[in-house]
Amino acid sequence: MTVDKRKLEILALATGSTALTWILNHHLGLGPIVANGLIGVLAAFLMPGALAGVAYTSSFVGMSSLAVLPSLMLALMGGLFAGLVIITTTEIYAGIGGKGGTTAAAAALVTRAISGFLG
Amino acid sequence: MDILLIILTAIAAGVTTYFIANNLKKGAVLASASVTLASGIIFPYFFPTTGSTLMVVAACASYGGMVSRKNAPTILDMVMISAIIGLLFSITATSYAGVGGRLGTIAAISCFAWLGVKNSAKAASRARKSDFLSKSVGIWQ
Repeated sequence: MTVDKRKLEILALATGSTALTWILNHHLGLGPIVANGLIGVLAAFLMPGALAGVAYTSSFVGMSSLAVLPSLMLALMGGLFAGLVIITTTEIYAGIGGKGGTTAAAAALVTRAISGFLG
Repeated sequence: MDILLIILTAIAAGVTTYFIANNLKKGAVLASASVTLASGIIFPYFFPTTGSTLMVVAACASYGGMVSRKNAPTILDMVMISAIIGLLFSITATSYAGVGGRLGTIAAISCFAWLGVKNSAKAASRARKSDFLSKSVGIWQ
């Protein structure tokens, strides 16, 4: 089995970006909007276009409230799901504003469903 | 809150994002993130009572402003998409609250709605033209 390095990069970046947004949002108390804006601006300056898009998209998951993602572990799981959705839906609805948010909402809802299932 | 204020905020944020991304060519991520960050700082500071809602509306519209020029070729398209975002935001304020990505989903639905309206108008226009042509040919025959 071969492991695609690019896909691993996306998964790692998505997980990290979600966790960082979640920490800025809840632990540092910046709130979801400022946390997401900060991550997006940093990503746009530090990364090439496609990877910045991945970081910004997955940071939407980290905007979730504590009722949806109550712990950092669940935020990491949400980021991983966001990465998987991004990898599998790269070409679908490209160029539609809000595609990233829809991807993030799917990841957040799946994570909430799994955490609810596991109790 | 006044729905007109929400729609106007959405239009301002959406158009600003679209302008930064396409006219200034700074890219969709930087455009949206900078508008989101600015709205998250400015609105609560200058509007203590309504700022918390307006910053969320602005962030939502900035996600819509990431639309490509192929799908929204003019600023007018962006104005219409942003207006739909403002309207949808007001209607769906309590739905899926707290789920990350909810705002982006509103933005995506608004983009699809406007593209649908545009495509339907084009199809209706084509149908009218072909109907007119067939009647004209009928007269000559």
